[in-house]
Amino acid sequence: MSEITKTEEKGLPRVKPSTDIVETDDGFFIYMDMPGVSKEALIIDLNEDEIKVSGRTAYPAPDGEKLVHVEFGNGEYYRGFTVSHIVDKSRIKATVKNGVLELHLPKAEKAQPRKIDIQMG
Amino acid sequence: MVIDFSPFFGQQTPLDRIFEAFWSPNMAISQRPYSYPPVNISEDEERIVVRCEIPGMDISELDLTLTESSLVVKGERQAAKGKYYRQERPTGAFQRVVNIHAPIDRDKVTAKMKDGLLEVVIPKSEASKPKKISIDIA
Repeated sequence: MSEITKTEEKGLPRVKPSTDIVETDDGFFIYMDMPGVSKEALIIDLNEDEIKVSGRTAYPAPDGEKLVHVEFGNGEYYRGFTVSHIVDKSRIKATVKNGVLELHLPKAEKAQPRKIDIQMG
Repeated sequence: MVIDFSPFFGQQTPLDRIFEAFWSPNMAISQRPYSYPPVNISEDEERIVVRCEIPGMDISELDLTLTESSLVVKGERQAAKGKYYRQERPTGAFQRVVNIHAPIDRDKVTAKMKDGLLEVVIPKSEASKPKKISIDIA
């Protein structure tokens, strides 16, 4: 987990998940490290130009185990993004695999680079 | 274009620069000031459980080695191809060694991974379990 920004009322630290934003020919990809968050515990809200992603980890308390060494724990991931008009918002896709959320934001048709044929005069 | 609206976006105060230096986005795992992956270790009478947060890795991509007195978790995180606007997720080779100071049953060690959380269960050997000794009082 990365920076702890705020402590929630319930005691869960709010964490900004480490994020990569990559542009490819297919559009934009946002990768977010959210280990411990299941598909069911993930919330993605798209409102106008804003995408808000949040999710809670659900590590069960070790039953009868004594914690010897602790470096991570339960937390609430939260991060927001602004999406510009070149993204086709109706085709945004989200997949979760191995604790990484992948958001695919395809470019709108008009934003695709186009080759212009030059006619000989 | 995608912009994340972090409270630090568009600012460059001295504090931001310190912050940026610490959380430098292009830092490889080996240059990070903290150990990767983060590890939790717990135990009960029967077993030792080592849990690691390794998002984005499949268990088949991990190299788990159990020696006489340690568990080694090794792997390499690859970066996606494309033009990066922001890179915060660590990439590169990582290795974490967990020392174990108890006799263990090496044949019964199990490992599983779910939602980026690795769980290695190491059963303790019979020799390390606490035994009750009855003392007859004469």
